[in-house]
Amino acid sequence: METSSFYHPAAAFLMTAVALPFLPGRRRWKWLLLIAPLAAIYGAFTNQPGDYLTLGWLGQTLKLGHVDRLSLIFAQVFAVMSLAGILYSLHVDDRGQHIAAVLYVAGGFGCVFAGDYLTLFVFWELMSIGSTFLVMLNRTRESVLASFRYFLYHTVGGLFLLGGLLLRYKALGSFDFGPIDPSAAQPYDFLILAGFCVNAAVVPLHAWLPDAYPRGTVTGSVFMCAYTTKTAVYVLARAFAGWEILAIAGTVMAVYGVLYASMENNARRILSYHIVSQVGYMVAGIGVGTAIAVNGASAHAYAHILYKGLLFMGAGAVLYAAGTQRLDELGGLAARLPWVMVCYMVAALSISGMPIFNGFVSKNMTIFGAAEAHQTFVALGLEVAAVGTFVSVGLKLPYFAFWGGKETDWKRDLKPIPVNMYFGMGLLAVLCILQGVYPAVLYNYLPYPEAVHEFTPWTPWNVLQAAMLLGFSGLAFYLMRHVITPHKALNLDFDWFYRLVGRALYLLVSRPAAFIDGVWTDVWNFIGLRGLMSTAFGAVFFDKECIDGVVDNTAYGTRGAGRVGALLQNGKLQYYLGLMTVLALGIFALFFYGVL
Amino acid sequence: MPDYQEKAGGAGGLGAFLAAQLKPERVRTWRIVFFLALAVTALLNLVIKNHEPHFGLDRYPFFWPVFGLVVGVVMVFLVKKLVQPCIKRPEDHYGDV
Repeated sequence: METSSFYHPAAAFLMTAVALPFLPGRRRWKWLLLIAPLAAIYGAFTNQPGDYLTLGWLGQTLKLGHVDRLSLIFAQVFAVMSLAGILYSLHVDDRGQHIAAVLYVAGGFGCVFAGDYLTLFVFWELMSIGSTFLVMLNRTRESVLASFRYFLYHTVGGLFLLGGLLLRYKALGSFDFGPIDPSAAQPYDFLILAGFCVNAAVVPLHAWLPDAYPRGTVTGSVFMCAYTTKTAVYVLARAFAGWEILAIAGTVMAVYGVLYASMENNARRILSYHIVSQVGYMVAGIGVGTAIAVNGASAHAYAHILYKGLLFMGAGAVLYAAGTQRLDELGGLAARLPWVMVCYMVAALSISGMPIFNGFVSKNMTIFGAAEAHQTFVALGLEVAAVGTFVSVGLKLPYFAFWGGKETDWKRDLKPIPVNMYFGMGLLAVLCILQGVYPAVLYNYLPYPEAVHEFTPWTPWNVLQAAMLLGFSGLAFYLMRHVITPHKALNLDFDWFYRLVGRALYLLVSRPAAFIDGVWTDVWNFIGLRGLMSTAFGAVFFDKECIDGVVDNTAYGTRGAGRVGALLQNGKLQYYLGLMTVLALGIFALFFYGVL
Repeated sequence: MPDYQEKAGGAGGLGAFLAAQLKPERVRTWRIVFFLALAVTALLNLVIKNHEPHFGLDRYPFFWPVFGLVVGVVMVFLVKKLVQPCIKRPEDHYGDV
């Protein structure tokens, strides 16, 4: 274990989070935010495969630093994205937002280097907490409500994971986090898979994503679009590669996302549905499971983080400047926000898989992997999604945000965009083009180096195929531009069902359970409490009258115990539940020490 | 267009250039460029062919232009005309906007 040569990128982010509240000055402390991303980039490019940072906890050996090619490529793009995200958010004065963001990013790095399920779970939950605050700190009623729903959702997902990993430990006696053979899958593996699928936004578990991301802060959503789903992609690639069910689920996601994106009016919700769609490509590649398909999924995750971050930056900049993200209220802004438009279009062409941009390399690699593995319907579904992607996020969103068939809107008051936002966008735009023109910068880091040469992106046919597919999808948009015009509306999605479940649970708790609680309190007051008090008084009486002076303290002791008992047993169910949880945690800890 | 240049001054020349492209004759030019580009890519398909067809029909020329056009048109029609009218609700349907 050569611990000296490993730097865990989460370390500096965690230190930043701890230090931020205490740093003096109004703005000077902001420069310190840049240290952690730069250190992370250094770490991601210099760390070597191996196992580092093991420590004992609860009688277990936690592996905080399990490094291989798969974790390195994700760490690398996480590091680059953290720098771009922090650059983009440097103008924000609210320390709370920065603390939430760095905690969230630290959680992402922790998951990527986790060698066991316990470590993974801890960082998994850290991400969930950090991202909840990135939504909540937008400080509108809408955002606060969405953040609570988001947190509930991820708590349930986290409980799936916790249940699965504990059952798995009981069966196998190990928390090791590694590939799971689909032919020997156990129920606990499916629980873990369900937990991962919540974060990967696998349809129909995806509803949290288009609910929360459009309501996050302008800068917070830029972070969120990169880490939660891609951490889930990473853990799926590590544990569930080759699971056929994921190939189908991914294809469904890819198509489902673009269908909703074609309907939506809210710019950042369109992009959110496109996360579902794009993560579908990665999940499908993982489900196919061949070396080239997993390479494709990893490459696509890398490219996706760069261009999706840039898309959220562009849409966020429009929201920041114009004060709205509803497409029907925008338009005629191309000449007012020209560089935002250019950066957005770089990302839009990247996500659409246009040659010169990075999506051209990674998307085609994934489709190629699926087709080579004879998953024809998966490959065809992904091509359909590619058309929908270009139509909705490559053309519809920018057309209605920046043009919309309107004259240049000189009258609209636009809030000036801080220069640091342009730096963040510029960095990602350059990287999107660099990876597209010079795929070696991506190829060198793919998890299966032996398979990288199976697919060559820059062939005349691949370029022409992309040009024809996108060109004629563009023609389809041109013909249908009056049909696709967005209007204000809410489109029902699976969250309808989850809200129903939520309301049903709420009713169950507030009506029958509250009724039982009320009855229980009455019964307790009438019988239990009086019984206890009379026992205490009886003891006092007995003490005073019979053995007074012999064991003087017994009476006071009993009365004291009676009072403590009365305090503890106050008949409120929630206290009993709390007490039970504490006891359960204690027993849980004893159990682990017992195992040792 | 001094007016454009003045107002888009903060954004440099690019804003003025983009504003100028909205004039009807420029829009017409861009439309012609677009259609010409489409024609060129489609014609190139007669020269550059797919040597590794995966889906069967894609061994023929013009498969991908037709695929892009048909899938695009059908998808937009399906979603906006058939699906959205059924699942559309007022924006504040859940009462949290």
